Amino acid sequence: MRFIRFIGFAVVRAWQGFWRNAMMSVAATATVVLMLVLLSGLFIVIAGLNSGLEFIESKVGVTARLEDGTSNAEVSALISYVEGLPGVASVDYVGPEEAMERLRQAYRERGEQLEFGGADITLYASIEIALVEPEAGPAVADALMDRDEVREITTKQSAYEALIGVINVIRTVGIIALALVGLTVLFMIVNTIRIAVYSRANEIEIMRLVGASDSFIRWPFILEGILCGLIGAVVTIVLVAVVWDPIQPIMVRVFQMPTTVSAQFLATLSAVILGAGLGVSALGSWISVRSNLSSTT
Amino acid sequence: MIGALARPRVSRVEAATQPVISMVDVGMTYPNGKVALADVNVTIPAGDFVFLVGPSGAGKSTFIRLLIREQLPTSGRVVVAGRDIARLRRRDVPKLRRRIGIVFQDFRLLPAKTVFENVAFALEVTGAGGGEVRRRVPQLLSLVGLQEHADHLPTQLSGGEQQRVAIARALVHDPAMLIADEPTGNLDPVTSWEIIQLLIQINGMGTTVLMATHNQEIVNAMRRRVLALEHGRLVRDEAGAAYEREY
Repeated sequence: MRFIRFIGFAVVRAWQGFWRNAMMSVAATATVVLMLVLLSGLFIVIAGLNSGLEFIESKVGVTARLEDGTSNAEVSALISYVEGLPGVASVDYVGPEEAMERLRQAYRERGEQLEFGGADITLYASIEIALVEPEAGPAVADALMDRDEVREITTKQSAYEALIGVINVIRTVGIIALALVGLTVLFMIVNTIRIAVYSRANEIEIMRLVGASDSFIRWPFILEGILCGLIGAVVTIVLVAVVWDPIQPIMVRVFQMPTTVSAQFLATLSAVILGAGLGVSALGSWISVRSNLSSTT
Repeated sequence: MIGALARPRVSRVEAATQPVISMVDVGMTYPNGKVALADVNVTIPAGDFVFLVGPSGAGKSTFIRLLIREQLPTSGRVVVAGRDIARLRRRDVPKLRRRIGIVFQDFRLLPAKTVFENVAFALEVTGAGGGEVRRRVPQLLSLVGLQEHADHLPTQLSGGEQQRVAIARALVHDPAMLIADEPTGNLDPVTSWEIIQLLIQINGMGTTVLMATHNQEIVNAMRRRVLALEHGRLVRDEAGAAYEREY
Protein backbone atom coordinates (compact mmCIF):
# COMPACT_ATOMS: atom_id res chain seq x y z
CA MET A 1 0.00 0.00 0.00
CA ARG A 2 2.80 2.34 1.00
CA PHE A 3 4.69 1.39 -2.15
CA ILE A 4 1.66 2.03 -4.34
CA ARG A 5 1.25 5.44 -2.71
CA PHE A 6 4.91 6.14 -3.39
CA ILE A 7 4.52 5.20 -7.06
CA GLY A 8 1.38 7.32 -7.29
CA PHE A 9 3.13 10.26 -5.66
CA ALA A 10 6.20 9.99 -7.88
CA VAL A 11 4.21 9.63 -11.12
CA VAL A 12 1.89 12.55 -10.33
CA ARG A 13 4.82 14.76 -9.37
CA ALA A 14 6.74 13.75 -12.49
CA TRP A 15 3.74 14.58 -14.66
CA GLN A 16 3.28 17.97 -12.97
CA GLY A 17 6.99 18.65 -13.28
CA PHE A 18 6.97 17.79 -16.98
CA TRP A 19 4.30 20.40 -17.71
CA ARG A 20 5.55 23.00 -15.26
CA ASN A 21 8.78 23.02 -17.23
CA ALA A 22 6.94 22.50 -20.54
CA MET A 23 9.30 24.28 -22.95
CA MET A 24 12.32 22.35 -21.82
CA SER A 25 10.44 19.06 -21.54
CA VAL A 26 9.03 19.33 -25.03
CA ALA A 27 12.44 20.24 -26.44
CA ALA A 28 13.99 17.21 -24.73
CA THR A 29 11.17 15.01 -26.01
CA ALA A 30 11.70 16.34 -29.53
CA THR A 31 15.35 15.35 -29.42
CA VAL A 32 14.29 11.92 -28.20
CA VAL A 33 11.98 11.65 -31.23
CA LEU A 34 14.80 12.77 -33.52
CA MET A 35 17.09 10.13 -32.09
CA LEU A 36 14.49 7.40 -32.30
CA VAL A 37 13.48 8.29 -35.87
CA LEU A 38 17.12 8.06 -36.85
CA LEU A 39 17.41 4.78 -35.00
CA SER A 40 14.31 3.45 -36.74
CA GLY A 41 15.55 4.49 -40.16
CA LEU A 42 18.87 2.83 -39.55
CA PHE A 43 17.16 -0.25 -38.16
CA ILE A 44 14.89 -0.53 -41.21
CA VAL A 45 17.69 -0.03 -43.74
CA ILE A 46 20.04 -2.45 -42.00
CA ALA A 47 17.28 -5.03 -41.58
CA GLY A 48 16.46 -4.71 -45.28
CA LEU A 49 20.07 -5.04 -46.35
CA ASN A 50 20.61 -7.94 -43.96
CA SER A 51 17.62 -9.73 -45.46
CA GLY A 52 19.08 -9.11 -48.89
CA LEU A 53 22.42 -10.40 -47.69
CA GLU A 54 20.87 -13.54 -46.25
CA PHE A 55 19.07 -14.13 -49.49
CA ILE A 56 22.27 -13.77 -51.47
CA GLU A 57 24.17 -15.85 -48.95
CA SER A 58 21.71 -18.65 -49.55
CA LYS A 59 22.38 -18.34 -53.27
CA VAL A 60 26.08 -17.85 -53.07
CA GLY A 61 27.80 -20.95 -53.97
CA VAL A 62 29.89 -22.03 -56.90
CA THR A 63 28.34 -23.44 -60.03
CA ALA A 64 30.64 -25.32 -62.40
CA ARG A 65 29.33 -26.18 -65.84
CA LEU A 66 30.80 -29.38 -67.14
CA GLU A 67 32.18 -30.13 -70.57
CA ASP A 68 30.00 -32.18 -72.87
CA GLY A 69 30.81 -35.85 -72.73
CA THR A 70 32.04 -35.94 -69.21
CA SER A 71 31.44 -39.52 -68.10
CA ASN A 72 29.58 -40.53 -65.01
CA ALA A 73 32.78 -41.83 -63.50
CA GLU A 74 34.52 -38.53 -64.11
CA VAL A 75 31.58 -36.66 -62.57
CA SER A 76 31.72 -38.89 -59.48
CA ALA A 77 35.44 -38.34 -59.18
CA LEU A 78 34.99 -34.58 -59.52
CA ILE A 79 32.26 -34.55 -56.90
CA SER A 80 34.45 -36.51 -54.47
CA TYR A 81 37.29 -34.09 -55.13
CA VAL A 82 35.11 -31.03 -54.51
CA GLU A 83 33.58 -32.51 -51.39
CA GLY A 84 37.09 -32.80 -50.01
CA LEU A 85 37.78 -29.07 -50.44
CA PRO A 86 37.67 -26.86 -47.31
CA GLY A 87 34.51 -24.81 -46.84
CA VAL A 88 32.28 -26.99 -49.01
CA ALA A 89 28.93 -27.92 -47.49
CA SER A 90 27.43 -30.09 -50.19
CA VAL A 91 27.68 -30.81 -53.89
CA ASP A 92 24.73 -31.49 -56.21
CA TYR A 93 24.85 -32.78 -59.74
CA VAL A 94 22.41 -31.16 -62.14
CA GLY A 95 22.07 -33.14 -65.33
CA PRO A 96 21.08 -31.64 -68.69
CA GLU A 97 17.44 -32.70 -68.30
CA GLU A 98 17.13 -31.11 -64.90
CA ALA A 99 18.80 -27.95 -66.13
CA MET A 100 16.26 -27.76 -68.93
CA GLU A 101 13.39 -28.33 -66.53
CA ARG A 102 14.63 -25.48 -64.31
CA LEU A 103 14.82 -23.15 -67.28
CA ARG A 104 11.26 -24.05 -68.30
CA GLN A 105 10.15 -23.46 -64.71
CA ALA A 106 11.79 -20.05 -64.64
CA TYR A 107 9.97 -19.08 -67.85
CA ARG A 108 6.67 -20.36 -66.52
CA GLU A 109 7.06 -18.22 -63.39
CA ARG A 110 7.36 -15.19 -65.63
CA GLY A 111 4.26 -16.35 -67.54
CA GLU A 112 6.14 -17.23 -70.69
CA GLN A 113 6.70 -20.41 -72.64
CA LEU A 114 10.16 -21.64 -73.42
CA GLU A 115 10.44 -22.08 -77.20
CA PHE A 116 13.45 -23.14 -79.23
CA GLY A 117 11.68 -23.06 -82.60
CA GLY A 118 12.04 -26.80 -83.04
CA ALA A 119 15.81 -26.89 -82.47
CA ASP A 120 17.15 -29.74 -80.37
CA ILE A 121 18.94 -28.01 -77.55
CA THR A 122 20.84 -29.74 -74.79
CA LEU A 123 22.01 -27.76 -71.79
CA TYR A 124 25.31 -28.33 -70.05
CA ALA A 125 25.35 -30.48 -66.97
CA SER A 126 26.72 -28.78 -63.92
CA ILE A 127 27.61 -29.29 -60.31
CA GLU A 128 26.27 -26.83 -57.73
CA ILE A 129 28.45 -26.41 -54.72
CA ALA A 130 26.94 -25.04 -51.48
CA LEU A 131 29.42 -23.43 -49.15
CA VAL A 132 29.68 -23.40 -45.39
CA GLU A 133 30.77 -19.76 -45.53
CA PRO A 134 30.42 -17.50 -48.56
CA GLU A 135 34.06 -16.47 -48.02
CA ALA A 136 35.22 -19.95 -49.11
CA GLY A 137 33.96 -19.26 -52.66
CA PRO A 138 37.14 -17.95 -54.32
CA ALA A 139 39.29 -20.87 -53.11
CA VAL A 140 36.79 -23.44 -54.35
CA ALA A 141 36.51 -21.64 -57.69
CA ASP A 142 40.32 -21.59 -58.04
CA ALA A 143 40.55 -25.30 -57.31
CA LEU A 144 37.96 -26.04 -60.00
CA MET A 145 39.60 -23.82 -62.56
CA ASP A 146 42.36 -26.36 -63.24
CA ARG A 147 40.03 -29.31 -63.81
CA ASP A 148 39.54 -30.40 -67.40
CA GLU A 149 35.94 -31.46 -66.84
CA VAL A 150 34.99 -27.93 -65.91
CA ARG A 151 33.96 -25.64 -68.71
CA GLU A 152 32.90 -22.51 -66.87
CA ILE A 153 32.59 -21.32 -63.28
CA THR A 154 30.07 -18.81 -61.94
CA THR A 155 29.78 -17.40 -58.49
CA LYS A 156 27.73 -14.55 -56.90
CA GLN A 157 30.75 -13.64 -54.84
CA SER A 158 31.14 -10.11 -56.16
CA ALA A 159 27.50 -9.17 -55.49
CA TYR A 160 27.81 -10.56 -52.00
CA GLU A 161 30.99 -8.68 -51.26
CA ALA A 162 29.59 -5.44 -52.65
CA LEU A 163 26.54 -5.75 -50.43
CA ILE A 164 28.61 -6.49 -47.35
CA GLY A 165 30.66 -3.39 -48.10
CA VAL A 166 27.53 -1.24 -48.40
CA ILE A 167 26.07 -2.65 -45.20
CA ASN A 168 29.26 -2.06 -43.28
CA VAL A 169 29.48 1.56 -44.42
CA ILE A 170 25.83 2.25 -43.62
CA ARG A 171 26.11 0.52 -40.28
CA THR A 172 29.26 2.43 -39.29
CA VAL A 173 27.98 5.82 -40.39
CA GLY A 174 24.59 5.09 -38.83
CA ILE A 175 26.03 4.05 -35.51
CA ILE A 176 28.29 7.11 -35.35
CA ALA A 177 25.37 9.41 -36.17
CA LEU A 178 23.21 7.60 -33.66
CA ALA A 179 25.85 7.86 -30.95
CA LEU A 180 26.16 11.62 -31.56
CA VAL A 181 22.41 12.12 -31.46
CA GLY A 182 22.21 9.84 -28.42
CA LEU A 183 24.75 12.02 -26.62
CA THR A 184 22.73 15.11 -27.52
CA VAL A 185 19.62 13.48 -26.11
CA LEU A 186 21.47 12.55 -22.95
CA PHE A 187 22.68 16.12 -22.61
CA MET A 188 19.16 17.50 -23.16
CA ILE A 189 17.64 15.17 -20.56
CA VAL A 190 20.40 15.90 -18.04
CA ASN A 191 19.78 19.63 -18.53
CA THR A 192 16.01 19.38 -18.41
CA ILE A 193 16.17 17.56 -15.11
CA ARG A 194 18.83 19.91 -13.80
CA ILE A 195 16.55 22.86 -14.49
CA ALA A 196 13.65 20.99 -12.90
CA VAL A 197 15.73 20.33 -9.78
CA TYR A 198 16.83 23.97 -9.52
CA SER A 199 13.36 25.32 -10.11
CA ARG A 200 12.09 23.20 -7.26
CA ALA A 201 14.94 23.78 -4.84
CA ASN A 202 12.53 25.18 -2.23
CA GLU A 203 10.33 22.14 -2.39
CA ILE A 204 13.30 19.82 -2.15
CA GLU A 205 14.58 21.65 0.90
CA ILE A 206 11.19 21.43 2.58
CA MET A 207 10.95 17.75 1.71
CA ARG A 208 14.29 17.12 3.37
CA LEU A 209 13.36 19.10 6.47
CA VAL A 210 10.08 17.30 6.99
CA GLY A 211 11.78 13.93 6.64
CA ALA A 212 11.03 12.80 3.11
CA SER A 213 13.20 9.86 2.16
CA ASP A 214 15.68 10.07 -0.70
CA SER A 215 13.46 7.99 -2.96
CA PHE A 216 10.54 10.41 -2.52
CA ILE A 217 12.85 13.28 -3.42
CA ARG A 218 14.65 11.66 -6.34
CA TRP A 219 12.22 9.42 -8.16
CA PRO A 220 9.84 12.14 -9.35
CA PHE A 221 12.78 13.72 -11.20
CA ILE A 222 13.98 10.43 -12.63
CA LEU A 223 10.44 9.65 -13.79
CA GLU A 224 10.14 13.14 -15.28
CA GLY A 225 13.14 12.37 -17.49
CA ILE A 226 11.80 8.93 -18.33
CA LEU A 227 8.52 10.60 -19.29
CA CYS A 228 10.40 12.53 -22.02
CA GLY A 229 11.71 9.20 -23.29
CA LEU A 230 8.34 7.49 -23.08
CA ILE A 231 6.44 10.25 -24.89
CA GLY A 232 9.22 10.44 -27.49
CA ALA A 233 9.06 6.68 -28.02
CA VAL A 234 5.27 6.64 -28.41
CA VAL A 235 5.39 9.51 -30.93
CA THR A 236 8.11 7.70 -32.90
CA ILE A 237 6.23 4.39 -32.89
CA VAL A 238 3.17 6.13 -34.29
CA LEU A 239 5.30 7.79 -37.00
CA VAL A 240 6.98 4.50 -37.92
CA ALA A 241 3.66 2.63 -37.96
CA VAL A 242 2.33 5.19 -40.45
CA VAL A 243 5.28 4.89 -42.84
CA TRP A 244 5.65 1.13 -42.41
CA ASP A 245 2.64 0.38 -44.69
CA PRO A 246 4.35 1.60 -47.87
CA ILE A 247 7.76 0.28 -46.73
CA GLN A 248 6.73 -3.29 -45.98
CA PRO A 249 6.12 -4.42 -49.61
CA ILE A 250 9.47 -2.90 -50.60
CA MET A 251 11.19 -4.89 -47.89
CA VAL A 252 9.58 -8.09 -49.12
CA ARG A 253 10.07 -7.55 -52.85
CA VAL A 254 13.31 -5.64 -53.11
CA PHE A 255 15.18 -6.82 -50.06
CA GLN A 256 13.70 -10.33 -50.08
CA MET A 257 12.68 -10.02 -46.43
CA PRO A 258 10.80 -13.20 -45.52
CA THR A 259 7.11 -12.39 -44.93
CA THR A 260 7.22 -14.05 -41.50
CA VAL A 261 9.92 -11.57 -40.49
CA SER A 262 8.19 -8.56 -42.04
CA ALA A 263 4.93 -9.35 -40.23
CA GLN A 264 6.64 -9.11 -36.86
CA PHE A 265 9.02 -6.35 -37.86
CA LEU A 266 6.92 -3.45 -36.59
CA ALA A 267 6.52 -5.11 -33.19
CA THR A 268 10.25 -5.74 -32.96
CA LEU A 269 11.07 -2.20 -34.04
CA SER A 270 8.56 -0.76 -31.55
CA ALA A 271 10.22 -2.70 -28.75
CA VAL A 272 13.63 -1.38 -29.85
CA ILE A 273 12.29 2.21 -29.99
CA LEU A 274 10.67 1.93 -26.57
CA GLY A 275 13.77 0.34 -25.05
CA ALA A 276 16.12 2.96 -26.51
CA GLY A 277 13.85 5.88 -25.54
CA LEU A 278 13.37 4.70 -21.98
CA GLY A 279 16.99 3.61 -21.62
CA VAL A 280 18.59 6.87 -22.72
CA SER A 281 16.13 9.06 -20.81
CA ALA A 282 16.47 6.99 -17.63
CA LEU A 283 20.25 7.19 -17.87
CA GLY A 284 20.14 10.96 -18.46
CA SER A 285 17.80 11.72 -15.58
CA TRP A 286 19.68 9.38 -13.28
CA ILE A 287 22.96 11.12 -14.08
CA SER A 288 21.33 14.50 -13.51
CA VAL A 289 19.75 13.54 -10.21
CA ARG A 290 23.01 11.99 -9.05
CA SER A 291 24.99 15.13 -9.80
CA ASN A 292 22.41 17.80 -8.91
CA LEU A 293 20.69 16.37 -5.87
CA SER A 294 23.21 15.84 -3.14
CA SER A 295 22.57 13.16 -0.59
CA THR A 296 20.85 13.65 2.74
CA THR A 297 23.34 15.56 4.84
CA MET B 1 13.02 23.57 52.69
CA ILE B 2 13.89 24.66 49.20
CA GLY B 3 16.16 21.64 48.81
CA ALA B 4 13.39 19.32 49.93
CA LEU B 5 11.04 20.75 47.30
CA ALA B 6 13.62 20.75 44.57
CA ARG B 7 14.87 17.21 44.97
CA PRO B 8 11.73 15.29 44.05
CA ARG B 9 11.15 17.59 41.07
CA VAL B 10 14.56 16.87 39.61
CA SER B 11 14.32 13.15 40.24
CA ARG B 12 10.90 12.96 38.58
CA VAL B 13 12.23 14.65 35.47
CA GLU B 14 15.23 12.33 35.36
CA ALA B 15 13.15 9.22 35.84
CA ALA B 16 10.43 10.04 33.36
CA THR B 17 12.43 11.47 30.53
CA GLN B 18 15.35 10.64 28.38
CA PRO B 19 16.91 13.88 27.11
CA VAL B 20 15.68 14.95 23.69
CA ILE B 21 19.03 16.54 22.99
CA SER B 22 22.39 15.63 24.41
CA MET B 23 25.60 17.26 23.23
CA VAL B 24 28.87 16.07 24.72
CA ASP B 25 32.11 17.98 24.02
CA VAL B 26 30.77 18.99 20.64
CA GLY B 27 33.02 20.87 18.28
CA MET B 28 32.43 21.94 14.73
CA THR B 29 35.21 23.33 12.59
CA TYR B 30 34.47 24.11 8.96
CA PRO B 31 36.89 23.00 6.25
CA ASN B 32 38.09 26.61 5.90
CA GLY B 33 39.27 26.44 9.51
CA LYS B 34 36.49 28.54 11.01
CA VAL B 35 35.49 27.23 14.41
CA ALA B 36 31.69 27.34 14.61
CA LEU B 37 31.29 25.44 17.87
CA ALA B 38 33.76 24.33 20.55
CA ASP B 39 33.37 22.21 23.69
CA VAL B 40 29.61 22.46 23.81
CA ASN B 41 27.94 20.36 26.50
CA VAL B 42 24.16 20.59 26.67
CA THR B 43 21.35 18.31 27.80
CA ILE B 44 17.78 19.25 27.05
CA PRO B 45 15.17 17.03 28.70
CA ALA B 46 11.86 16.26 27.07
CA GLY B 47 9.24 18.93 27.66
CA ASP B 48 11.75 21.76 28.12
CA PHE B 49 11.34 25.24 26.62
CA VAL B 50 14.76 26.63 25.77
CA PHE B 51 15.95 29.87 24.21
CA LEU B 52 19.15 29.83 22.20
CA VAL B 53 20.66 33.30 22.14
CA GLY B 54 23.83 34.96 21.00
CA PRO B 55 25.09 37.48 18.46
CA SER B 56 25.07 36.66 14.75
CA GLY B 57 27.87 34.27 13.91
CA ALA B 58 27.99 32.89 17.46
CA GLY B 59 27.14 29.39 16.26
CA LYS B 60 23.35 29.24 16.66
CA SER B 61 22.78 28.10 13.06
CA THR B 62 25.46 25.43 13.32
CA PHE B 63 23.91 24.27 16.59
CA ILE B 64 20.57 23.81 14.81
CA ARG B 65 22.12 22.23 11.72
CA LEU B 66 23.70 19.59 13.91
CA LEU B 67 20.37 18.79 15.53
CA ILE B 68 18.67 18.15 12.19
CA ARG B 69 21.80 16.40 10.94
CA GLU B 70 22.43 18.79 8.10
CA GLN B 71 25.96 18.66 9.42
CA LEU B 72 28.02 16.31 11.51
CA PRO B 73 30.20 17.52 14.39
CA THR B 74 33.95 17.36 13.83
CA SER B 75 34.34 16.27 17.45
CA GLY B 76 32.12 15.13 20.29
CA ARG B 77 28.78 13.44 20.28
CA VAL B 78 25.30 14.72 19.39
CA VAL B 79 22.36 12.56 20.42
CA VAL B 80 18.90 13.62 19.24
CA ALA B 81 15.76 11.73 20.27
CA GLY B 82 17.92 8.84 21.39
CA ARG B 83 19.93 8.61 18.17
CA ASP B 84 23.62 9.46 17.80
CA ILE B 85 23.52 11.53 14.61
CA ALA B 86 27.03 10.51 13.56
CA ARG B 87 26.12 6.82 13.68
CA LEU B 88 22.82 7.22 11.88
CA ARG B 89 22.57 5.34 8.61
CA ARG B 90 21.75 7.53 5.65
CA ARG B 91 18.34 6.01 5.16
CA ASP B 92 17.48 6.67 8.81
CA VAL B 93 18.14 10.41 8.56
CA PRO B 94 14.61 11.17 7.26
CA LYS B 95 13.16 9.23 10.20
CA LEU B 96 15.16 11.41 12.60
CA ARG B 97 13.90 14.54 10.86
CA ARG B 98 10.31 13.44 11.36
CA ARG B 99 11.03 13.49 15.10
CA ILE B 100 12.03 17.17 14.82
CA GLY B 101 9.82 19.95 13.52
CA ILE B 102 11.52 23.13 12.36
CA VAL B 103 10.33 26.62 11.47
CA PHE B 104 12.31 29.54 10.11
CA GLN B 105 12.21 33.30 10.09
CA ASP B 106 11.21 33.29 6.40
CA PHE B 107 8.43 30.67 6.85
CA ARG B 108 9.50 28.66 3.74
CA LEU B 109 6.00 27.92 2.50
CA LEU B 110 5.32 26.83 -1.06
CA PRO B 111 3.67 29.85 -2.67
CA ALA B 112 1.67 27.88 -5.26
CA LYS B 113 0.06 25.63 -2.68
CA THR B 114 -2.81 26.51 -0.38
CA VAL B 115 -2.51 26.48 3.39
CA PHE B 116 -4.03 22.99 3.49
CA GLU B 117 -1.73 21.74 0.72
CA ASN B 118 1.36 23.17 2.38
CA VAL B 119 0.66 21.19 5.53
CA ALA B 120 -0.51 18.12 3.60
CA PHE B 121 2.67 18.20 1.52
CA ALA B 122 4.78 17.33 4.56
CA LEU B 123 2.64 14.24 5.08
CA GLU B 124 2.47 13.21 1.43
CA VAL B 125 6.22 13.31 0.89
CA THR B 126 6.67 10.85 3.71
CA GLY B 127 4.19 8.40 2.21
CA ALA B 128 1.08 9.23 4.21
CA GLY B 129 -2.25 8.24 2.68
CA GLY B 130 -5.22 10.43 1.84
CA GLY B 131 -7.11 9.37 4.96
CA GLU B 132 -4.31 10.44 7.26
CA VAL B 133 -3.96 13.75 5.39
CA ARG B 134 -7.68 14.49 5.67
CA ARG B 135 -7.66 13.65 9.37
CA ARG B 136 -4.40 15.26 10.44
CA VAL B 137 -4.27 18.55 8.48
CA PRO B 138 -7.54 20.00 9.85
CA GLN B 139 -6.44 19.06 13.39
CA LEU B 140 -3.23 21.03 12.99
CA LEU B 141 -4.88 23.98 11.26
CA SER B 142 -7.31 24.11 14.12
CA LEU B 143 -4.44 24.01 16.64
CA VAL B 144 -2.80 27.04 15.02
CA GLY B 145 -6.17 28.76 14.50
CA LEU B 146 -6.22 28.74 10.72
CA GLN B 147 -8.98 26.29 9.90
CA GLU B 148 -10.89 29.09 8.17
CA HIS B 149 -7.92 29.82 5.92
CA ALA B 150 -7.33 26.29 4.61
CA ASP B 151 -7.99 27.28 0.99
CA HIS B 152 -5.96 30.48 1.02
CA LEU B 153 -2.58 30.88 -0.61
CA PRO B 154 0.32 32.01 1.58
CA THR B 155 0.37 35.37 -0.23
CA GLN B 156 -3.17 36.03 1.03
CA LEU B 157 -2.04 35.65 4.65
CA SER B 158 -0.27 37.98 7.09
CA GLY B 159 3.25 37.17 8.25
CA GLY B 160 1.99 35.82 11.56
CA GLU B 161 -0.51 33.59 9.80
CA GLN B 162 2.17 32.29 7.46
CA GLN B 163 4.34 31.42 10.45
CA ARG B 164 1.38 29.56 11.95
CA VAL B 165 1.10 27.50 8.76
CA ALA B 166 4.81 26.74 9.03
CA ILE B 167 4.32 25.65 12.65
CA ALA B 168 1.39 23.42 11.68
CA ARG B 169 3.57 21.85 9.00
CA ALA B 170 6.43 21.35 11.46
CA LEU B 171 4.09 19.50 13.84
CA VAL B 172 2.60 17.23 11.23
CA HIS B 173 4.64 14.17 12.25
CA ASP B 174 4.00 14.82 15.94
CA PRO B 175 7.69 15.51 16.63
CA ALA B 176 9.42 15.18 19.98
CA MET B 177 10.94 18.61 19.49
CA LEU B 178 10.11 21.83 17.69
CA ILE B 179 13.03 23.99 16.63
CA ALA B 180 12.15 27.59 15.88
CA ASP B 181 14.96 29.52 14.21
CA GLU B 182 14.18 33.23 14.72
CA PRO B 183 10.45 32.60 14.28
CA THR B 184 9.54 36.19 15.13
CA GLY B 185 12.33 37.83 13.17
CA ASN B 186 9.98 39.07 10.44
CA LEU B 187 7.01 39.86 12.65
CA ASP B 188 5.75 42.91 14.50
CA PRO B 189 5.73 42.79 18.34
CA VAL B 190 2.05 41.93 18.74
CA THR B 191 2.22 39.12 16.19
CA SER B 192 5.47 37.92 17.73
CA TRP B 193 3.72 37.47 21.04
CA GLU B 194 0.93 35.53 19.40
CA ILE B 195 3.50 33.13 17.94
CA ILE B 196 5.17 32.79 21.34
CA GLN B 197 1.79 32.00 22.91
CA LEU B 198 1.33 29.29 20.32
CA LEU B 199 4.79 27.85 21.04
CA ILE B 200 3.99 27.84 24.77
CA GLN B 201 0.75 26.04 24.04
CA ILE B 202 2.61 23.43 21.96
CA ASN B 203 5.21 23.06 24.70
CA GLY B 204 2.37 22.58 27.18
CA MET B 205 1.23 19.59 25.14
CA GLY B 206 4.60 17.93 25.76
CA THR B 207 6.67 18.98 22.77
CA THR B 208 10.15 20.22 23.60
CA VAL B 209 10.72 23.68 22.12
CA LEU B 210 14.08 25.18 21.21
CA MET B 211 13.87 28.75 19.97
CA ALA B 212 16.82 30.65 18.59
CA THR B 213 16.17 34.36 18.86
CA HIS B 214 17.53 37.87 19.08
CA ASN B 215 14.35 39.14 20.67
CA GLN B 216 15.42 40.32 24.13
CA GLU B 217 11.97 41.44 25.16
CA ILE B 218 10.51 37.98 24.69
CA VAL B 219 13.36 36.14 26.39
CA ASN B 220 13.33 38.54 29.35
CA ALA B 221 9.58 38.28 29.77
CA MET B 222 9.39 34.51 29.49
CA ARG B 223 12.07 33.63 32.06
CA ARG B 224 12.82 30.22 30.63
CA ARG B 225 16.07 28.31 30.25
CA VAL B 226 18.58 30.26 28.17
CA LEU B 227 21.56 28.87 26.26
CA ALA B 228 23.93 31.65 25.25
CA LEU B 229 26.55 31.10 22.57
CA GLU B 230 29.50 33.38 21.89
CA HIS B 231 32.24 32.62 19.39
CA GLY B 232 31.06 29.03 19.23
CA ARG B 233 31.23 28.45 22.97
CA LEU B 234 28.36 27.93 25.33
CA VAL B 235 28.94 30.82 27.74
CA ARG B 236 25.74 30.49 29.73
CA ASP B 237 23.19 27.74 30.43
CA GLU B 238 20.76 29.15 32.93
CA ALA B 239 17.19 28.32 33.95
CA GLY B 240 14.64 31.12 34.34
CA ALA B 241 17.07 33.55 32.81
CA ALA B 242 17.10 36.78 30.87
CA TYR B 243 18.63 37.57 27.47
CA GLU B 244 21.72 39.19 28.98
CA ARG B 245 23.75 37.94 31.93
CA GLU B 246 22.26 39.51 35.05
CA TYR B 247 25.10 38.96 37.50
